[in-house]
Parts: sequence; C-alpha cells; structure tokens
Amino acid sequence: MEGVFDFAPAIAVFPLVAFVIALAFGKHLPKKGAIPGILATGGSLLLSALMLVAVSSGEVYHETLYEWAAGDATSATGVEGIAFTFGILIDPLAALMLVIVSLVAFLVHVFSLGYMNAEGETGLPRYYAGLGLFTFSMLAFVYADNLLMAFMFFELVGLCSFLLIGFWFRTKSAPSAAKKAFLVTRFGDYFFLIGVVAIAATFGTLQFAGDESFVAAAQTAIDDGGTLFGFDAQTWVTITGLLVLGGVLGKSAQFPLHTWLPDAMEGPTTVSALIHAATMVAAGVYLVARMFGYYALSPTTLAIIAFVGGFTALFAATMGVVKDDIKQVLAYSTISQYGYMMLGLGVGGYVAGVFHLMNHAFFKALLFLGAGSVIVLMHHEQDMWKMGGLKDKAPVTYYTFLAGALALAGIIPFSGFWSKDEILYDAFIVGLEEPVIMAAYAMGLAAVFFTGFYTFRMVFLTFHGEPRSEAAEDPHPVGWSIKAPLIVLGVLAVVAGAANLAPVYKLTGLELTFLESWLDGEYGAIEGLTYGAYGELLAYETGVVGTEQLTVMIAAGLSLLLAFSGAGVAWKLYNVPEPVVYRDRLGRVGDVIEANYYQDEYQVWLAEGVTLPLARAADRFDQTAIDGAVDGVSTASLFGSDRLKRIQTGIVTNYAALLVTGFIVLLLVLGYAGGWFL
Amino acid sequence: MMIEILIGVALIGAFATFLAPNRIAGKLAFAISLIPAGLSIWMFSAFDGSGNALLGGDLAFESQAAWITLGAYDITWFVGLDGSSLPLVVLTTILVTLAIVSSWTPIDDRESQFYGLVLFIEANLIGVFAALDFFLWFVFWEAVLIPMYLLIGIWGGPRRKYAAIKFFVYTNVASLLMFGAFIALVFGLGDSVTSFALPEITAAMAAGELGSFYGLGPTTLASAVFVAMFVGFAVKVPIVPFHTWLPDAHVEAPTPASVLLAGVLLKMGTYALLRFNFTMFPTEIIEPFVLPIAAIAVISVIYGAMLALAQTDLKRIVAYSSVSSMGYVILGLIAFTQFGIGGATFQMVSHGLISGLMFMAVGVIYNATHTRMVTDMSGMADRMPVAVGILIAGAFGYMGLPLMSGFAAEFYIFFGAFESTFLEYAPIFTALAMFGIVVVAGYLLFAMQRAVFGPYNLETDYEVGRAPLHDVAPMFVLLGLIIALGVAPELIFEMITDAVDPILDGGEL
Repeated sequence: MEGVFDFAPAIAVFPLVAFVIALAFGKHLPKKGAIPGILATGGSLLLSALMLVAVSSGEVYHETLYEWAAGDATSATGVEGIAFTFGILIDPLAALMLVIVSLVAFLVHVFSLGYMNAEGETGLPRYYAGLGLFTFSMLAFVYADNLLMAFMFFELVGLCSFLLIGFWFRTKSAPSAAKKAFLVTRFGDYFFLIGVVAIAATFGTLQFAGDESFVAAAQTAIDDGGTLFGFDAQTWVTITGLLVLGGVLGKSAQFPLHTWLPDAMEGPTTVSALIHAATMVAAGVYLVARMFGYYALSPTTLAIIAFVGGFTALFAATMGVVKDDIKQVLAYSTISQYGYMMLGLGVGGYVAGVFHLMNHAFFKALLFLGAGSVIVLMHHEQDMWKMGGLKDKAPVTYYTFLAGALALAGIIPFSGFWSKDEILYDAFIVGLEEPVIMAAYAMGLAAVFFTGFYTFRMVFLTFHGEPRSEAAEDPHPVGWSIKAPLIVLGVLAVVAGAANLAPVYKLTGLELTFLESWLDGEYGAIEGLTYGAYGELLAYETGVVGTEQLTVMIAAGLSLLLAFSGAGVAWKLYNVPEPVVYRDRLGRVGDVIEANYYQDEYQVWLAEGVTLPLARAADRFDQTAIDGAVDGVSTASLFGSDRLKRIQTGIVTNYAALLVTGFIVLLLVLGYAGGWFL
Repeated sequence: MMIEILIGVALIGAFATFLAPNRIAGKLAFAISLIPAGLSIWMFSAFDGSGNALLGGDLAFESQAAWITLGAYDITWFVGLDGSSLPLVVLTTILVTLAIVSSWTPIDDRESQFYGLVLFIEANLIGVFAALDFFLWFVFWEAVLIPMYLLIGIWGGPRRKYAAIKFFVYTNVASLLMFGAFIALVFGLGDSVTSFALPEITAAMAAGELGSFYGLGPTTLASAVFVAMFVGFAVKVPIVPFHTWLPDAHVEAPTPASVLLAGVLLKMGTYALLRFNFTMFPTEIIEPFVLPIAAIAVISVIYGAMLALAQTDLKRIVAYSSVSSMGYVILGLIAFTQFGIGGATFQMVSHGLISGLMFMAVGVIYNATHTRMVTDMSGMADRMPVAVGILIAGAFGYMGLPLMSGFAAEFYIFFGAFESTFLEYAPIFTALAMFGIVVVAGYLLFAMQRAVFGPYNLETDYEVGRAPLHDVAPMFVLLGLIIALGVAPELIFEMITDAVDPILDGGEL
C-alpha cells in the first residue's frame, strides 16, 4: 500500500485543476464546469478512501515536499535556521477528514447540477471555479504538515467563502455578507498569524508531527522551565495557543466572532452546505484537533476552549429558536454544534470532538442540501411560515431531512446522539472535578433542549400541517441529482454513529469503539499524534458518580431527556394543521433573542460608529495639521519671497552693498562656527 | 556593459520617441522598452554576483570609468548590481513596459512627449539602482524628478499644477538635506576616502575613520547625518508625517505615472534607506533611533491604513495604502534580522507589482466611467467582469493573501521583526503593525462592495463596456508575477538574503 501515498498531492490538485478549467473554459463546457468539478472531487474522494485504507493497514505518510522559504534565524529556544515548507501529513485524523471533505464536496457538486444548473443560474463557471478552489484549499489545509501551510490554506478558504457567499453579487446583501465573513474571520486570523509568527520565533519550527515539531519543543521547554519572551514557558505556550485560537474562533464561528455566519446564508444553499459541513467552519475545529498536543500542554487554554464552546452552544441554540427562515435556523444550529465540538476538545475529549465533527459533517450537509431541496420545491421561498405539508409531496426530501433532524437533535440511535453524548459525558466527568468545566457542561446540556426544540419546530413547520402558500400546495419537482446526495447522506446520518458506541462499551464491555481505536493509532499512527499520547499530556482529573456505568447512564439519560422534551414541546406547539406564531408571548426576551443579543449591532457599531469616525478624524487631522504645515511652509516662503523681491530695486549700487554685507555676515557666521575667534 | 546598454537603450529610445509622430509613439516606446525588459530578465538569469555591493561583495555587471576629479575626490562612473538591487532593476523595466501599454487608452495628447518622458524615467531609475558612486547616484536620483514632474504637470488631473509642484519641491528639499548630510559625512572621513565610491566610504565608516567635522565629534556627526539622511529618504518613501505629497500626486497623475510612482519611485526611498542608513552606519549609531523608527513604522502602517479607510476616491485609497505598506518595509529594516531586511526588500518588489496592478485596475475603471469615486458607481463587475476580476485579485494580493507575493513579504517582515533582538519590545511592535492586515481588508473590501458589487449604477454619462485587451493584458502579466513570487518567493529571496547577510555580519548581532 505504500506507493499509494505518492498520489497524495493529487487529492488537492484535482480540484485545483477543476478550478482552472471552470474559470478558463467553463463558459464553453456543457454543464458550465460542473463535470470537471464532479470528476475532480470524485477522484479526490477515491484517493482519500485509498489513503484511509492505507492508514488502516498501518501506513502513515509525513513528507516535506517543497521548501517555500528558508533562512537564518535563531529561535528563542536556540534552534539555528528555519525553513518554511509545504508538506503532507496523512495520519488517522487527516485521512478521516480527507474522506469527509471530499465526500461532501463531491455530493455538493452533484447536487449543484439540480440546484444551480437546472434552475437556470448565470455565472456558473464562476460558481464551479469557486467550489473547486474551495475544495482545493480545504483539502490542502487538512493534510498540511505544519502550521504555516495550515494558515495559508486557512486564509485561502476564507477567500473562497468570500467569493461564494458573494456569488449573487448584483444584490446588495450578498456582497455585504461576503465582506463581513471575510473581515470577521480576518480579525480572528490576525491573532492566528501572530501566533504562527510567535511559535516560529520561539521554537524555530512549525511542524505538527515528529521530534522536530513545535509541540515536542514546547514540551521540552516546559520541562526545562526556562523563560520565553519574558514569560515562563508554560505561560508562553498558553499565550501562543490562545493567539492561534483566535483564528479558530473566527472560522468556526465561535462567540464573539460568530456574527458572520448567519449572514453568510446569502450564498447559494449548496455553498452553505459546503461551508458548514466540511470546509470553512470545520477548519477551525479541525485545527484544534490537528495541534491538540499543543493545547493539551496548557490547561488554561483548554478550559477557555471548553467554556467558549459550551457558551456558544447554548447561546446560538437560543437564537435558533425564533428564526423563521429555514436556512437561518440551520445557521444557528451550526454555530451551536461547533460549540459542542469545542467543548469536547476543551475537556480533553479528543475522540468525542472529532467524532462529532464527522457526524455533524454528514447530517449538516444533509440538512442544508435538504433545505436546498425544500427551496427548489418551494419555488425559492425560504420562510417556513409559508411552507407546510411537504411531507407527502416530497417523501425523499422529508425522510432524509428527518434523519438529519433526529441526528441534529441528538435522538438515539441517530449519529448525532452518540457523538454529542460522548462530548457531554467527557465534559461531565471532568466537570465533577473542575467547576469551570461543570459550568461549560451545564450550558452544553441546556443547549440540548433548545436544539431539540428548534430542530423539530423546523421539521414540523416545513413538512407537517397544511400547506400555507400556493408554492407549498404545488411544489416544483426535484430531480435525481438532488435526491441521490440526500439519500447517501441520509444513510450516513443514521449509521455513522456506529463508528464509536462508547456508552455501549462502557455499559456492556463490547468493543464497539472503532473510532477511538482508529485515533489512538491501533492501525497506523504517527508517534505523539494519538489519543493516548494526548491523554498523557492532559492535566485533567475526572470523577464519577457512583460507578462508571451509573455516570454513563446519568449523562446519557439527562441529555436524552432534554432532547426529547425539546422535541416534545415543538411537537405540541407546531405539529398541528394550522400552527400559530408564539413569538409575541416571549415579550422582551423575544426581542433580545430575535435581535441576536445585539451582537451584530455592537460589531457594526465598532466598525461604523468607532473606526470609521476615527478614520475620518485622522483624515481631517492629516488634511489640516500635517498637510497644513506643509502648505504653510510654502505659503510662508512665497510670502517671504514676495516681500524679499522688493529689495530688487534694479539699482546696481544697492546690489553691491547687499553683496558685500552678505559676504561679511557669512564670513562672520562661518568663522564663529569654525572657531576662528577662539 | 549590460547596465550601460540598459540605460543607453532607454535614453536613446526616449529621444527617438520624442521625435516620432504622436500616432506611433506608444507602439514605438513599447517596442523599445521590450529591449531593457528582455535584457534585464536575461541578466536576472545570468546573475553571478554574491554578497553586498557596499560590503565587498562580488558585483555583477560591474563597470567603472573615471569621470571627474573634484579636488581630492574622484567621481567615477561606477555601476554594478547585487542581490538587492537586481530585482528592483527587473521590476523597473517590466513595470515601464506594462505602464506604456496601459497608457495606450488614456493618453491621447502629445503622445510622443509622454512616452519619451516615460523612457527617460526608466533610464534614470535603472541608474539609481545600479549606481555605486554617490555623485553619479545623486545625478540619477534627481533626474528622476524632472520627467515625473512633467508627467503629472502636463497630463494630470484638474489640480495637476499644485500636485506636481508639491511633489517636486517637497522631494527636492528632502534631497538637498540628504545631499548636504552625505557630503558632511564624506568630509568627516577626511583623507581616508579619495572618491565618492560607496564601497570605499562604507569601508572607511566600518574602519572607524570618521573624524570631527565642523565642530561635531564623530558620533554626533554620524548621528546627525543618519537622521538627516533618514528624513531625506523618508519623504521619498514616504513615511508619516512626510507623506502628504503622495495622495495629491497620485490623484492628479495619469494612470501610468501612478503605476511608476507607486511601483518604483517609492522604492527609491526604501532602497536608499537600505543602502545608506542601514548599511553604512555602525549599529551603535543606529541604536538610539531604533525605538523612534519602529514607532514611526507602526504609525505609518496603522495611520496610513486609517487614512485609506476614510477615502472615497479609489486612487486615494490605493495611494494611502502605499503609506501603510511602506511602514512594513521600515519595520523590517529596523528589525535588523535576515528575514526583516530581506522581507523589507522583498516587499519593495512585491508592493511594486501589486500597487502597479491596483493603479492599472483603477485606471481601467476610470477609462470607462470617467470617475474614481466609489460613491458614483456600483456593480461594475456586471459590465467589466475581467477587469474587475483582476481588481479583486489585486486587492486580495494587497491584503496579503497567501500564495501571492504580498503574503510572503509581510510574513517575512513579521517573522523577522518578531524575533529581532536589536529592536526592544519587538513582539509588541510587530503585533501592533500586524493589525494593518485587518484594516487593509476593511477598506479594500468596503470599497469593492460599493464600487464593483451590488446592482449596476453609474452617476456619470458614459456607456461602460468590456475593457480592451491591451488594458487587461498588462494586469494579467502582473498578476502572474505576483502569484509566481507568492508560490516561489525563493526566486528572488535567496538572492536578496545573499546581499543582506553581510549587513548583519558587520553589525555584530
């Protein structure tokens, strides 16, 4: 199997080629660039699957392929010279993610045939070029073997989101949303880049894996107990880790940098599926998993990750409750679900976090594509209050969407239950010892109720009851390019949870924790990048309530109970023929939630109420004070010369007198300065 | 001989174009400019120099000839290239060729004079980067001003006289300051130097030959000269607070002049800072000024970006963003590390390409709409998709998007500055300056959102169609170079660091 890794670069290069083809020749191609995109992502998927097989047979791949820049620099730890390189790292985590990304990208391409081509969109070459570049950037990011390469493709992912969110650039709202997405994530990336520079300057390497990695160097530095940049090593690792985390918060839309994501719904729904499930938003959390060893060295950073995650999970879930646009509900659910992943990783639940990342990729892609299908059915209507009764008219869409909804709500035995439960369990047992984590856990748990509620509110409003508009009564048919991806993802949403049945293992002892073994390197792995290795670095204590079995039962029971009650309330309120709007009964609380807690307002205020006036003030200062001084000098000299020219009397003797006087004065001055009179 | 051929072809070409009829001048100038461009690319591939031109390195394409003897000093025709100047020569020749092509559409008046002046600028710019005798260098340095003054003053916008005179007087006064300071330095070196050759002067400085002059002790003299030259060059760069001539000059200048102004003329200042201030002076002279210079660098970055944010004229936006970008160069230089100074030099080339591209793109939009105000237009992407596509690509290049040259330059500078031991509080200065990457994204995206996206609308009475090929082709060339340098920065970075290393070794860091 070893030779298969020679083809690893092609995984990312295929979509890049598709990008170039779509951009250059898309106009003349039969499906405007869709075919090269489908072939390329299909090829990437095939190769990624081969990588997965290779890794399962015990092989891993870590190779530096290209030296981007090299030079002299002495790191704070004394390493001489530094090389910034491009390389590929394929270990269990990367192989898994490659398959997820290329699969979702492939299905999105196929779905686009029905969603974009069949709906008569213009600008399709640009669309497919964007998808290709997006897939390329994400795949290259996933198997990047060092932090700088990861940063570079992380940024390119941001560019692609800008291009695709702003796809309908002739509207006013799409360009604005695109700008916001790039700007808010750029703000996060600012900290990320400082982190990259700081880590490079500190350890002289940016490698993720091996003895030469910055993770290993950080561990050595902490063990040696030296000072780095004026801080003790532990603190410095925390600081740099938090800086990198800035990028994660931006891309993974965590509080307070989540505001771009709901606006990003301005892009085509297919793009939302790609962004939310497998590319941009996933990139942040994936990065935390990729350099988990570094975070494991710093309990403070981990606790912050967990707390931010738990808070975001709850915060976003409450906002999802009052949304009327089907895509908006899904947008807030994405923010909330990535909060869970952060919570999981923050409490040391590396497997749980990655597990949820995988399950979420499937069911969120499914839900977004399902929403896309609904939008086609509804003749491009997105308001759920105008839907209703689609259940019998579009059974494929309904049942696949339902599978995704059950997974999202965390209902046993759908995939989302297993991973969310594992996250909450991990948070619970750590929380028993650490009060901060307990708070994060409590927020995560509370979010389960809201998740159940908004998910089923969405399902009932969309599919159940009586049709509430003409479009809902007479839906537009959808073709197989739309249905087929839904079915594939629908099956995955049901069964993917089987990859890691941790509660079953803990209760019965049956070894059904395939993903845990996978990430722990029981097949193939790179030393130091395994679940076990991370576990040794973690400083967390865990507790139990009674026995481990009882703890498992309590954690799972609680989250199931909340999920069912949330879904139940939604059932009661909205699974009726003629649902009514309850929004008014929420009163002022509802106003605050509907305004998204004024998060947008204060960020817009920061941009337009603070920065812009400051810029204008700077401009006025520049025009008046600085340029005024420059012009003042010229005015003064013009004025002076105007006066001075009066001595040009035209009388030769006057000139002779001035000449002599001037000469004497000059001589005296020079003489005085030169020291002749001393 | 190669440098003489480059300069000679440009000079003779300038005269030939002057005499040519208006109708063929543009094509003729283009054809002539291909010769230096082609030759300099060949020189780039055949480059065999090593080390720093001022610090005893092996020069490439060196030639020397006695010229004038002035008292005890020999003035020589002394030219040659090292790894830091050759990329700038190549940048110059390529940008001139592209600027000529981009003039075909907008310039429709006195063409032969226009293109003649452009070629005349080219000759002098090559001279500035190649000359190694101070006197010779200064002749080229000053001679650049005249054609640029005329380009702005004759073919410029409504306030062209004001802008041209401001540009000329401001930079000329600065040159005078710098010239006087340098002559004082040479006198201070006394008998230890017998010519204006820069390597000789540098060697004498390094050997500690600087004596007293005019009542000033060696250290005071060196410090005073350092400051005076810094200010002199700072105007050219420009660095805050000496930057106010730049937006006026850019706004009034015709597009091709803006391309050369931002692309190459600003680099004269940063190149001279590198050549003189940061190569000739011992580090103990520079040391007291490290913190102020770093502060000025950070202020230039942030303040320049804030000014750009307040503008609604596309050209003013790009002009102010140059102030911001040049701030990074200063930060890289003062860091005194290989990546810092190397990155600063890389940024000179990269910014030359990217700002050139941006000015061309803005120019193409102006050609079609006859306005540059973002408030006057929206949805231009609808009518000129290719030109706007390139504008967007250029804007992302300006924002430092990875795999484009701007990222490589900025990353080197940030890394080089962060790890600097010469600069106190280096991480803090670096982190502050880096905030520029957020503001730059803010003003460029905001401007694009208003001007090129949204529903199509134009306040002026012009019919906007697709840009002609010869407007778009030069931008494609630049974009290709920007991406090439972003993917493979070692193409020139290796050469640059080779020239930078001796500076650091001499500095005992």
